[in-house]
Amino acid sequence: MKKVLMILTLFLITGTLVMSQTVQITGTVTSSEDGMALPGVNVTVKGTTIGAITGADGKYVLSAPATAQALTFSFIGFRTAEVPVSGKTRIDVSLEQDIFNVEEVVVVAYGTQQKRDITGSVASVTGESVSKVPVQSFDQALQGKAAGVSITMPSGALNAMPVIRIRGYNSISGSSYPLVVVDGVPIATGNFGGSNSAETNALADINPADIASMDILKDASATALYGSRAANGVILITTKRGSGPRTKVTYDGYIGMTEPYHLFKMMNAEQYIEHKNKAWVNLRGESAPKFTLVNDKDGKPIDTNWADYIYRKGLQHNHAITMSGSTASTSYFLSVGYTDQQGIINKNTYNRKNARMNIDHKLNKFISVGVNVAYTNGLNKAPVTGSSFATAGAARLAFVLPPNLGPYKTDGTYNIAGSAIGNMGQPITNYGYYNPVAIMDLNKYTTETDRLLSTVYASIEPVKGLVLKTTYGMDNLTSEYTVFQTPLTGDGYGSNGYVYNQNQKFRRWTWTNTANYNVTLKEVYNIGLLAGVEEQRTTNVSWYGEAIDVADPFFKVYQGSWITPSGTGGGIGENYFISYFGRASFNYNKKYYLEGSVRRDGFSGLAKGKKYGTFGGASVMWNVSSEPFIQDAIGSVFSDIRLKASYGKVGNMSAVGDFSSLFLYSSGVYGSDPTLTFSQAGNADLRWESSNKYDLGLTFGILKDRIQAELNYYYNDINDLVLAVPQSPSKGIPGNSISANVGSMYNTGFELSLTSYNIVKPNFSWTTTFNFSTLKNRVTALAPGVTSLLGVTASLETTNKTVVGEPIGNILAVETRGVDPETGRRIYVNKDGKEVLFYFENSTATRWQYRDGSGVAPAITTASDAKIMGSPLPKFFGGLDNSLTYRNFDLNLGLTYALGFKLYCGSKAGLRDQRWWNNSVEVYETAWEKPGDITHIPKPVMNDNISNGSSFPISENIERGDYVKVRNLSVGYTFKKLPSVTNIERIRLYAQVFNAYVFTNYSGSDPEVSTNGNANLTPGVDRNTAPQARTYTMGLSINF
Amino acid sequence: MRNIFKITIVFALLLTAGCSTKYLDPVPQTSLSDLSVFDTKDRIVAQVNGMYDYMNSGAFMGGRFQVYGDVRADNFIPKSSNLVTNFASWNHTEVSSTNEVQNCWGQIYATINCVNVFLDGLKTNWDEGKLDGIITQDELDQYRSEGLTIRAICYFSLLQLYCKPYNQGNGANPGVPLRIKAMKSSEENDLARSTVAEVYTQILNDLNEAEPLAIEDYGDPVMNTTRVHRNTIIAFKTRVYLNMQDWAKVVSESAKIVSSSAPFTATSGVAFALNPSFTGIFEPPYATSESILSMPFTTTSTPGTQNGLPHYYSYLSSESYFLNTNPGLAYAAMDATDARKTSLLLSDGKYFLTKFSDYTTLTDYAPVMRYAEVLLNRAEAIVRAGGAVTQEAVDLLNAVRTRSFPTGGYTVASFASASDFYTAILQERSIEFLGEGIRTMDLQRLNLPFPAKDGGAMGTVLEIPPTSIGYIWPIPANELSLNKLMTPNQ
Repeated sequence: MKKVLMILTLFLITGTLVMSQTVQITGTVTSSEDGMALPGVNVTVKGTTIGAITGADGKYVLSAPATAQALTFSFIGFRTAEVPVSGKTRIDVSLEQDIFNVEEVVVVAYGTQQKRDITGSVASVTGESVSKVPVQSFDQALQGKAAGVSITMPSGALNAMPVIRIRGYNSISGSSYPLVVVDGVPIATGNFGGSNSAETNALADINPADIASMDILKDASATALYGSRAANGVILITTKRGSGPRTKVTYDGYIGMTEPYHLFKMMNAEQYIEHKNKAWVNLRGESAPKFTLVNDKDGKPIDTNWADYIYRKGLQHNHAITMSGSTASTSYFLSVGYTDQQGIINKNTYNRKNARMNIDHKLNKFISVGVNVAYTNGLNKAPVTGSSFATAGAARLAFVLPPNLGPYKTDGTYNIAGSAIGNMGQPITNYGYYNPVAIMDLNKYTTETDRLLSTVYASIEPVKGLVLKTTYGMDNLTSEYTVFQTPLTGDGYGSNGYVYNQNQKFRRWTWTNTANYNVTLKEVYNIGLLAGVEEQRTTNVSWYGEAIDVADPFFKVYQGSWITPSGTGGGIGENYFISYFGRASFNYNKKYYLEGSVRRDGFSGLAKGKKYGTFGGASVMWNVSSEPFIQDAIGSVFSDIRLKASYGKVGNMSAVGDFSSLFLYSSGVYGSDPTLTFSQAGNADLRWESSNKYDLGLTFGILKDRIQAELNYYYNDINDLVLAVPQSPSKGIPGNSISANVGSMYNTGFELSLTSYNIVKPNFSWTTTFNFSTLKNRVTALAPGVTSLLGVTASLETTNKTVVGEPIGNILAVETRGVDPETGRRIYVNKDGKEVLFYFENSTATRWQYRDGSGVAPAITTASDAKIMGSPLPKFFGGLDNSLTYRNFDLNLGLTYALGFKLYCGSKAGLRDQRWWNNSVEVYETAWEKPGDITHIPKPVMNDNISNGSSFPISENIERGDYVKVRNLSVGYTFKKLPSVTNIERIRLYAQVFNAYVFTNYSGSDPEVSTNGNANLTPGVDRNTAPQARTYTMGLSINF
Repeated sequence: MRNIFKITIVFALLLTAGCSTKYLDPVPQTSLSDLSVFDTKDRIVAQVNGMYDYMNSGAFMGGRFQVYGDVRADNFIPKSSNLVTNFASWNHTEVSSTNEVQNCWGQIYATINCVNVFLDGLKTNWDEGKLDGIITQDELDQYRSEGLTIRAICYFSLLQLYCKPYNQGNGANPGVPLRIKAMKSSEENDLARSTVAEVYTQILNDLNEAEPLAIEDYGDPVMNTTRVHRNTIIAFKTRVYLNMQDWAKVVSESAKIVSSSAPFTATSGVAFALNPSFTGIFEPPYATSESILSMPFTTTSTPGTQNGLPHYYSYLSSESYFLNTNPGLAYAAMDATDARKTSLLLSDGKYFLTKFSDYTTLTDYAPVMRYAEVLLNRAEAIVRAGGAVTQEAVDLLNAVRTRSFPTGGYTVASFASASDFYTAILQERSIEFLGEGIRTMDLQRLNLPFPAKDGGAMGTVLEIPPTSIGYIWPIPANELSLNKLMTPNQ
């Protein structure tokens, strides 16, 4: 720490240099557009920290040294002007509006920089672009907005956690999810609700309407200051602050309707009976049992479209009121928000109430203090929404249940038989699947979160340019997840009712102290220095209780009367970071840039004596266009050209648990006696995963910055990947694995971002932004002796295989080649490349037969015959936005796209399964009937759960996922010149469609899907996942 | 300016203040370090119970192992075709990646390693004198005997599922990898299969070593039922020898715990005897003198849904198995007055066991071995060893049979030949142990085929002859891929 003091002293000395001779300069600053005076403009003597600020009349007075060469005038939203002094004492300036946003300020690690001075790779997205989108959390709206950032909504359930990948997959056993920092403080991320019901994304606690900007740090030079947590990229959220002497009040609200985007077309009751009875006959001849039509209470045959009972048109409304402004010493931003959303799945609702207060105050010339406080209450209610194989899963029940059964019996009671749906006299004794109407009516799953996110800071500027700042941040998130399962039917039937309550208390404090010094020497040497210390402690305490056997059906809550407590438990996690960091940046006359950062992190989860690691990054940039010879050559076309390069080494600590290094025993019970069993084979050598990131960038502006572009190439080499090294099951190691830093992988790709101001006229403007990213991911090493890792969906279906030399999470399936026209059997290809047919109705020993007639073949299995069938990682992805305004009208069209990837449509196996399950109409229409039929759906044989891929994945169900999505389409009208008595500045009315349309050949519900959420090893699986929602909204924004 | 400097100095100090390191070495509050688990007797006993708890898992002796023993054979038909509830085991479509094939293997070997880690720690700590004053030599012996017996039960269970019966080639066929060292690190991933005979040798070595070390009687019926004592070990040996067709050994071992005439009891150690009521064995408190070893459950420690025996046999379960009423099977062979038949429950035209009826809390104990089996083991071995039906053998058989079917007693004259007696014994075992996982073992130890079965809507299953590859389970795919010396079943 001595160093910090020394640097401090140095700063103090340089800061106290005294200027002798001065000249007084005055003038007025106006806007070039309308000639109006501009208050608050920063006027400085170039190359010094001497300056003044214009008053309400746009006038300034400045005491400049006699040696002053030029003055710079800078103001947000205007282009900075530089005017030579040349002995003048009055300098009036007319500032040009920065219509092309070239002077944008970007938030970076522990500070801000002008966009053009950034030497690393940073993508910025405005808060405006996410605030009016009908989503639960801002990350859902980031899709397609930034190059290199891939966002996938896993399903249509409310508040499901999007899969976020910045420049690809950065981990295998750990997380590839980025670090999220709000107003300088790293916050809790992840799911704080149930895994299959009432999922709750921690990012939903931030009201999108409060966000001023989102800056996404991608390369190592930008992220290095976050050290051991930087490898997955960093999303910096900055909330809004007040500005301007006038108090601004805004109201933003919308009402909307949401509906499922694409549901499967299923057989109706008559088709079902015809098809399934044919399948019975194909199995057992004419003596087979028969399905029949069943009459409802009105004597009409039941014909149930189960999706009608599971999905709905949901209503949504959202309101946000903000008040902001500033005085000479204080700026404030206050907001309240309320959102109430019904999802597309019945009983799925999300409700959020939040309030925020951001205040910054200058105590005096030297000292500033401030506070941000945000409180959010979120409540998510949901049935078991998905995915995979739960028999209560709403999305699955919507297509598995037969249409000749109904939700109610003729007496109006639920059609149930024990836990399952009642058979209504059909020849299936026990359907096993639940009556969705009954369980959605009676069962209840909720997650409620209360969150206080706050920071306080104080900063002091003892000498111009040196800012010492201390910030204390707090993230307190408490969540309660509750489950009630009725004793009447469904999951709770067997135990005569079931309740579960879980409370989780996430607490984190972060204390950051920084010294930041910026100085310009000899007018051309711009130097920035940063040094800091940061501590962060996190505790995560949870406990739960569960009970079965309800005392009286009246009780539907854990606190009610239950006969048998069936379990209690919980967990206590804690970890701590202590970090030291510094950054030095230098540029010569904004022409040659050099920057380096370093961070040393100590982390409590690592073994004693091995707790510290050092990370760092460096970057260079050359402002090519500032070279006169370049200016002369191509300056007429290129207004700005910059070349950048960066390298850095950062870490990912997510695979290291709080106590991973320890050998542990955990306790349980045997009968009534306590037990102690070996539960964790620790690894004292476990450490962070490390990423060596390289980045080359080129940014340029064409036609006076009318077109701005950024092109990047990145290469991210990840080493020391933590892998749960699989152990032979016969060793009996807990979990059959031991974690070690053994793997390696890389991601590489190009990114292109383009912003084009096609038309900029007072009454007509048209702006296009486009981004395009490529991703190539390769696993280069797994654990010693391990050449592949299998990915299992819901611990039942092996769907993915990660192999050295290939991208992570490739899709695994047995190759099939359609249906044999002669026999109507699915053609499987075994490991030797021979074609094998499957005859379900045969005895077990003779079911698999070679197609060439050479007799019985060994049974086809995933383990012996499956092959890699492609990568679910899109090779290309991005977005295209067009914004038009014409007079008072505005139009916005946002597209996102992902190309060059495969998906496993596991739902299709279910849609074609030949048990009693309902099938898609496609099966009814195209299943094989007689020799010579050319079709892709085999001969239906009752109970055949193999030919269509239910037992193991087959390539028939693997499809290209390529899509282009009309993510957002909105039109608006703004009333501008309103009578002044109303005090209303403007009113905007708009209509919007979110998820308007998908162009794709994918046959599942939606190619944007992830049954396995953020899991690294099982991407691209679509197994009984709820479809995405399409939402129509009508909105109103009022600015007072 | 002076104030500013003061404040600046304070700030500068703040910058350097953050270096507290008390949080850098947290201690877990919910788990114990491996260094402290031999510190007290209570912790050592807790580790002993931990070995049982591994065996008690729903994936193994807590339920599923017994279920595999019944549903692979002929007496049951499933309500549901759910693969999670062993449909593939029922219709013999298991493959190396089938969940039960992988999960059962994994749980049994986890139990074995739990035993090995404990025995290793126990020996090391004892030899280093760290247990002086904590446990006695007798207690050391007792704990060791329990570990060895659990390991023997584990290896015997593995042989039942994954290996050809001993009688095929006298154990020369491939067995399973013999893991007898504690595994804690990444070393020794590869280990080849021992032969079936070698595994039997290890099982018998463990049991024979354990027998003299074991406690004679815990003095508590629940502990006598849920923990291993000397007579438990002897009883289990009769099962092991029966499977090796070493009839003489069955006779000599069973003699240690079966009195020479009715009523048959164990005369030293825990006094095993048949429970007067058949249904009473399966009712709380489950700790009868007949219950040699059972896995206990409480409401807070259950085998888990889709694991526990009530889930598989209660009529309330939508995934239960009901009795196959076809001729020649246990149901058809029972007399209408037989308590084992009258205790069945008729629901929706199907007959269900009521042995494991607590479907709501899943707390029915899972039987591992009952004294009735020892009596029938002894009866069969006497006749097979001597070649003639004896009065003692008939008495032993009758002891079990007439408890439930008082008028159904046999005499020596009831059997025209020894072979008739074997048939009667086999049928009695099939009836007596329905749902207790004995049936597959009985078919396989005698090299009998799995008979064909007709499951109605669940489909038909053809006969599986002993030579068929489906007669035993395949070796799990994950073991084959990770253990380079492992070989598949042929």
